[in-house]
Amino acid sequence: MKYRMVFACAVFATGTAFAADHGPVFSYATPVNSERELSFDTGIFGRNGSRGTQLSTGSGFGYGVTPHLTVNVFLPASFGSGDLPESRMMSGGEWSTGASWRFLHSVTSVGKRIESTASLGLVVPGPQQDSGVLGSLHRAPGVAGTVATGLASRSQYLWFGGGYTRFAEAAKDRRPDTLSWSAVYGYRPSRLRRGYDQWDYRGFAELTGEHTGAVRSGGVILPDSSSTSVWLGPSVLAIFKDVAIEGGVQAPLFRDASESVYGRERIRFAINLSYLKYSSHTSSH
Amino acid sequence: MKTIVASCLLAISTLAAHAEYEQVNLTVFGMDCAPCAHAIHVSMKGIQGVNTVDVDLNTGLVSIKLTPGNSAAMRQFNEAVEKNGFTHKDADVLVRGQLSGSAQAPFLEVTGTNDRYALTPVAAGTDLSGLLGKTVVVDGVLPQSGKGKVSGTLRYKSATEAK
Repeated sequence: MKYRMVFACAVFATGTAFAADHGPVFSYATPVNSERELSFDTGIFGRNGSRGTQLSTGSGFGYGVTPHLTVNVFLPASFGSGDLPESRMMSGGEWSTGASWRFLHSVTSVGKRIESTASLGLVVPGPQQDSGVLGSLHRAPGVAGTVATGLASRSQYLWFGGGYTRFAEAAKDRRPDTLSWSAVYGYRPSRLRRGYDQWDYRGFAELTGEHTGAVRSGGVILPDSSSTSVWLGPSVLAIFKDVAIEGGVQAPLFRDASESVYGRERIRFAINLSYLKYSSHTSSH
Repeated sequence: MKTIVASCLLAISTLAAHAEYEQVNLTVFGMDCAPCAHAIHVSMKGIQGVNTVDVDLNTGLVSIKLTPGNSAAMRQFNEAVEKNGFTHKDADVLVRGQLSGSAQAPFLEVTGTNDRYALTPVAAGTDLSGLLGKTVVVDGVLPQSGKGKVSGTLRYKSATEAK
C-alpha cells in the first residue's frame, strides 16, 4: 500500500528543483524549461570525507511541457565510498523522476522576474548500493518535494528554497527523512551583461543545509545516525547559446554528525555540463 | 463564370502577396540571460517568413525583419515569447495591408493573415481618407495585449501608399 501511495504521488509529479542548466549547481532555484525545450545535464558531484571520496555522475533529462511545467528524470551512478550521511542536495545513487511547476511568475521589467517553483517526484533506489551505514539497509522508494522562490535579473539573482524527502520502509529498514534548504545569491558584473551571441557568465554564493533523520535498521533506530550540516561556497556558470558549464565547491560551516558513524565530511564539489535544445516550433495562423 | 472566379482568385492572391509584416520590434520583459535570448531567437526564426532576428538583452528589444511575401501573423510572434515564459509588451511594426472602413474608422487588413486592426493616430490631424481602398504601408505601435491575444488597435505614426 505504501508503494502504491508513493507511485501515486509521483504521477503528479519531481525530485529536486536543481536547475543547473540555468542556475546554481548546489542549491534550489526556480528556472524551468521553456515549452518543448529539451535539456540534458551530466556532471560529477563529489563529497570528500575522512573515510574517502564519494562521487556521483549521471544523466538528467528535462522537457518543457508548457512554459511553466517541466518533467524530468535523473539517472545517476555513484562510485567510490565515503560512508557519508544521506544527502538530497548532492546527487547520490538514487534515480528520480518528477515534475517542476512554476506556479508564480511575475515579470516586472526588462530583464527581471520574480518566480516560485514547486517540484514533486519519486525517488527510487538505483542499481548501486550505498556505502557505510546506509549500505546495509533494504531500500525502498521515496517521495521528494521542493519549493524555491526568488528573483532573476540581468545583474543579480536571489533564490531561497527548501525540500523534504521521505522514504518508504522495506523489511523494517528505512532511509532517513531529509529536510534540506538553500539560499543563493548570484551576480553578473556590468561588463559581462552583453549580447547573447557571447559567453554569459555569472557567479553564485551558495549556502545549503540539510538535516537527516535517524536511520532505521531492522525496526531499530540506529543511535547517532541523524545529522545536520550547513555548507557555503562559490560556483560559476558559463553559458553560450545552448551549452552551459558550471562548477562549484563548498566547505562546511556547521556539522553535527557522529564521526564514529559517518566520519568527517570535508568538502563538496560539482561540475555540470548542460545542453539545451530549444524548440523552433510555432503554430500556423 | 470561370473568368470571374479566376479574376477574384487573382485579385486575392495579389493582395496576399503585397500584405505582410515587414519589420516587428517587440519589447520583451523577463529575459535575464543569454539562453533566454537564444530561446527567443530560435523560436522567432522558426516562424515562416522571418529573415533576421536580433535580441538586445539590456533593452529587452527583439527586432525581427521579414522576407517579402511572408504570411506571418502577429499572434505567432507573441506565442514565440509566451512559450519561453516571458511577457511581450508594445510592438513597433512596419506592416503592409489594405486600408478599409471609413475616414473616421479606418481598418488595416493584413491580407494573407487574419490580422485586422482599427487604426488610431498617434498624433491628431492625420487624414487617411485618400488612402481608403488602397494598399498602404503603416508604421505604428501595437499596444501590449494579454496572453494569447493580439491588440485590435494599431496606433499609427505614418501611413503611405505602397509602391
